[in-house]
Amino acid sequence: MRKIVVVEDDQPILDLMEILLKKLGYEPVLIPNGLDALNYVRSEPPALILLDIMMSPLSGWEFLDRLRTEYNQREIPVILFTASPTVPGKMAELHDPKLGILQKPVTFNELKTAIQQFLG
Amino acid sequence: MERQIALWGHRFTHTDIVRFTVIASLTLSSILITAITLAQNIGALYPQLFYFPILYATYFYPRRGIILAGICGIVYECLVYFSLFPDTFALWSATGQAVLFVCVALAVVYFTNLIRVSEARYRSIFENSLLGVILFEKNNFTIRLANQQVAGMLGYTVEELSGMTFAEIFFSHDFQRRFFEHLGSGEDIRNFETCFATKTKEHHWVNLSWSRIDDTIVSCSVIDVNTEKLVRQEAVDSSTQYRQVTENSPTGMVITDHTKILFANPAFSIFSGYTPDECTGRDLADSVLDEDRERFAAFAGRWDTAAPVQDRAEFRFITKSGEIRRAVLYFTPITRNNRPAGLINIIDNTEWEEYRERVEQTKERRREMMRAVAHELRTPLQPVLGYLNLLLQDPKSFGVTDETRQILERCAKSVDQERQIINQMLELSVLEVEETGLDYSVFSVRGMVNAAIANGGYAIKAEIAIDIPPDLVFEADRQKLSYVLDVLLTNGVTYSKTPKKIWITYRGSPTLPFHRLAIQDNGVGITETQLDEIFKTEKTGSTDSLRQVIGVPGRSLAIAKKYVQLHGGYISVDSIMNIGSTFTIHIPKKRPDKGDHHDA
Repeated sequence: MRKIVVVEDDQPILDLMEILLKKLGYEPVLIPNGLDALNYVRSEPPALILLDIMMSPLSGWEFLDRLRTEYNQREIPVILFTASPTVPGKMAELHDPKLGILQKPVTFNELKTAIQQFLG
Repeated sequence: MERQIALWGHRFTHTDIVRFTVIASLTLSSILITAITLAQNIGALYPQLFYFPILYATYFYPRRGIILAGICGIVYECLVYFSLFPDTFALWSATGQAVLFVCVALAVVYFTNLIRVSEARYRSIFENSLLGVILFEKNNFTIRLANQQVAGMLGYTVEELSGMTFAEIFFSHDFQRRFFEHLGSGEDIRNFETCFATKTKEHHWVNLSWSRIDDTIVSCSVIDVNTEKLVRQEAVDSSTQYRQVTENSPTGMVITDHTKILFANPAFSIFSGYTPDECTGRDLADSVLDEDRERFAAFAGRWDTAAPVQDRAEFRFITKSGEIRRAVLYFTPITRNNRPAGLINIIDNTEWEEYRERVEQTKERRREMMRAVAHELRTPLQPVLGYLNLLLQDPKSFGVTDETRQILERCAKSVDQERQIINQMLELSVLEVEETGLDYSVFSVRGMVNAAIANGGYAIKAEIAIDIPPDLVFEADRQKLSYVLDVLLTNGVTYSKTPKKIWITYRGSPTLPFHRLAIQDNGVGITETQLDEIFKTEKTGSTDSLRQVIGVPGRSLAIAKKYVQLHGGYISVDSIMNIGSTFTIHIPKKRPDKGDHHDA
């Protein structure tokens, strides 16, 4: 079963994601902050990361930057899972082919389509 | 020049010959009288007679005069010896007289020489002086003498000037009167500037200094200041012109010689805090903030090139009171007094910059607020929407009855609608606050239209007629245009009367700068009042009634309009009540400011 790491500081969403991802046939790994998530990803690279942006102490952007440059993990697909309306603009500037976006709140079908875009 | 005659290897003038004749006559007369007196034994001798030729000759010809005195002495002594020998007293007396002739001649030579040296010195100064000199009589102001400098200055000859009165050479009565007022003060005057008239009656500026030589003669030196005065006057005239032109200007203006300020207008004076007099002569660079000096030096360096061109740059300045102000400098090369100079317009944009900073801060606050609002509104919706979706995806496994499912579906529909409204509001906020870029690409218009129809399932909802050339391509942001098309199709489908019909037609032409893609429906049409409302970002009327009218929830048409405007285009609407409406997307064929956007 392919692992999907969900980096999200909002517990109700983590709870929901656990159920939805299981329903979609993936193994969810729920991590509530970016630093722990980075450590986890380094030891066990997942199939995909669902990444919240507005988090502390490490924001989603910092997580992404360190993942891609410091840990050199350029092939792991990352779906930015955000409520911020300015994220799509910034995302376009990165020109990262392994980067997707889902704007909260998403429907079950939107989540499924976004994940399948990377994992088939 | 007096004619000269060569005699015995010497050159003599006529005057010399006349003088020689006089001297020879007097000498011979003296000798004859003395000889006759001695021969006739008349008694009284007059050796003083010899002094006439000796003094005359010595005065004009010192060396020859002494020789003549010696000859006269010898002749006189010889005559006395022949006549009165052996009268010892008479012989000694004659010898003494002869010696006295020579002594008198030597004394005359000495004193006339002294006079001649000082006269020569004076003449030399008078004639060769670089200054003009005029000697005139104090009582009737007749010019006694004027040197070549004065004569040349005024276009007269020395001789012509000598016959005139001093009053005649002033340019006007005013100058004449002021001169006589000063002269009447009885004091020696220095540096009195006045204006003479040349022979051709043109003015000529001079600087006079005068002093009395004696009770009757006044010596007046004349310095030519005409050129300097005219240049000065021209500078004053130019400055007056600049002042007239610039004093009411709301922007600071300075004339500079490189960076040295030659003239500053009142607006610059207010800007810099220095008075106009303080500004003049200051270096403009001294008013530039230290951090900007290097940049300013580079900017000013471009003014010194052979052909300087108009230029502009922004700098921070420090005023006299120490306040920092921002200004944009516009440099224009000009010519002032036949020399290259710079006209610099200084536009104070301190307030504008502060305003811009405040706007930026406000924008940043709005962004922050937007992010916070988005987070707070969207995040709690996620579990609601997610769980509703989950229950509706597989209702049986969660024990959901049909009746409950219908309720849940209504809930999900409302939540989804709220989600759309929030998304649209936030998208509009982003479009207003952020510099939204476009992801340009070249794509098939037919492809985009077909995809939009398929994704929205519009073909089921209405009959759709497409009239678009198969090879037509747009260069635009495909995703954003797809959104626009989707909004207009939703609108059209919602509005069409049964049987619903939509026409999608390309109405461009090779001569037009815009592509025109029209979406036409057979609906009820839109009133003019509604037309004003549909594209607004802030809805003034009832949202419900509006939604009923236009069929598109929230502000999707406003977003569509913004997307098209980002491309440099617009959306037009034609509507006939109960016939239908046509929304036309106008997109420029040429991508505006290509460099400002990046290609995907």
